[in-house]
Amino acid sequence: MKVYTGTGDGGKTSLFSGERIAKTDARIEAYGDLDELNAVVGSVVAALPRHPDSQKLKAQLMNIQSTLFQVGALLATSPGSPAADQLVPIKAEQGRWLEERIDAMDARLVRLNAFIIPGGHPSAAWSHIARTVCRRVERRVVKLASAGAVIPDGLDALLIYLNRLSDYFFVLARFCNNLAGVADEPWQG
Amino acid sequence: MNRGKDETVTAAGGRTRFEVQVAAKRRLASHTVEIRFQRPKGFAFSAGQKISVAHQGIHRDYTLVNSPQDAELAICVRGIAQGSLSLVLVAAKAGDRYHISPAFGHFLYHPCAQPAVFVATGTGIAPFVAFVHGGAKNFHLLHGVRSEAELYYRSLLSQAADHYTPCLSGEREKLPGDGENFYGRVTDFLEHRLPDGDYDFYLCGRGEMLRDATRIIDRRFDGSRLYSELFF
Repeated sequence: MKVYTGTGDGGKTSLFSGERIAKTDARIEAYGDLDELNAVVGSVVAALPRHPDSQKLKAQLMNIQSTLFQVGALLATSPGSPAADQLVPIKAEQGRWLEERIDAMDARLVRLNAFIIPGGHPSAAWSHIARTVCRRVERRVVKLASAGAVIPDGLDALLIYLNRLSDYFFVLARFCNNLAGVADEPWQG
Repeated sequence: MNRGKDETVTAAGGRTRFEVQVAAKRRLASHTVEIRFQRPKGFAFSAGQKISVAHQGIHRDYTLVNSPQDAELAICVRGIAQGSLSLVLVAAKAGDRYHISPAFGHFLYHPCAQPAVFVATGTGIAPFVAFVHGGAKNFHLLHGVRSEAELYYRSLLSQAADHYTPCLSGEREKLPGDGENFYGRVTDFLEHRLPDGDYDFYLCGRGEMLRDATRIIDRRFDGSRLYSELFF
């Protein structure tokens, strides 16, 4: 079975809503970065430390990966297009779900009183990468949204979700180091 | 999608499955049949969605061709020599049991003001049959096959379509009395016959057709929308 069709060889691609647009379009940049984020989350999962809590983290991260597909479909659809009705907007509960997980992990960590240098256990290092890619995705989506190019239904919840998600990855990085017995490295500047 | 009581979870991979029985089978062409399964309780789908059919560890995806309101589920299967599951299905008898997945896929019809052009090759016609059962109208359908015998669902589709164009890629030229037939590939029709304009194109077929049709659409019909479904 071939995985390629060659339909994008001319430098265009199809949106979920059917429009053919250049691969350099801001929308493609946004969901390309989202795709990168999803791949990095997969790397976090693959690098989780051997610890009983990791199964729970894996389930959380797979939930996030599924939500990122949902976000991808939203970004790949023009507002007002016939396909827009087919999509499920991001809901406020999804952002609150992240907040609960952030709070639960944070409660088990020592309070920070300095910047920390990204790194430590591989899962923590990947989680820091996820945080930075997530911030980039957030910037792309804000830019698209300000141009009116994102479906308005659920947009506020989407932006909150992405903002919380990078916080989640920051805390997850520290939590993974904690599970692996690796100390966070404070910045000595 | 709600789980019904007939829904089971397989040991392999934990993917959700329904067990279904063949209710009926009818021949559409010499190697092609329509198989109707009893519809499991709680099974929901939209016109254009697919199911994965499993038998002895082999899985293959088929688009449901019937109406989402029907009491049964119907698929169109062409038996191909290298397709062991398709040959099993073509030989299926009433009462045979298979496992199927819940419906999935996003190749759905979106009615809008732009004229719709449906382009299918072979049994890639399946989602368009489903669209018609789902209420699609005011469309131009191109169905690419080698010979007229493979124009499955011709009566249904020609009645529902504004324009129905069988594209016959067999060798002979058009003769007087050939009516609506176009002698050539669907891509030849798109390249040379379809009037300029902005359309909503829906493509379902093999990769080569999708690639060639997409190139033509990008060049000739810039501003159109394009939805495509790769058919393996």
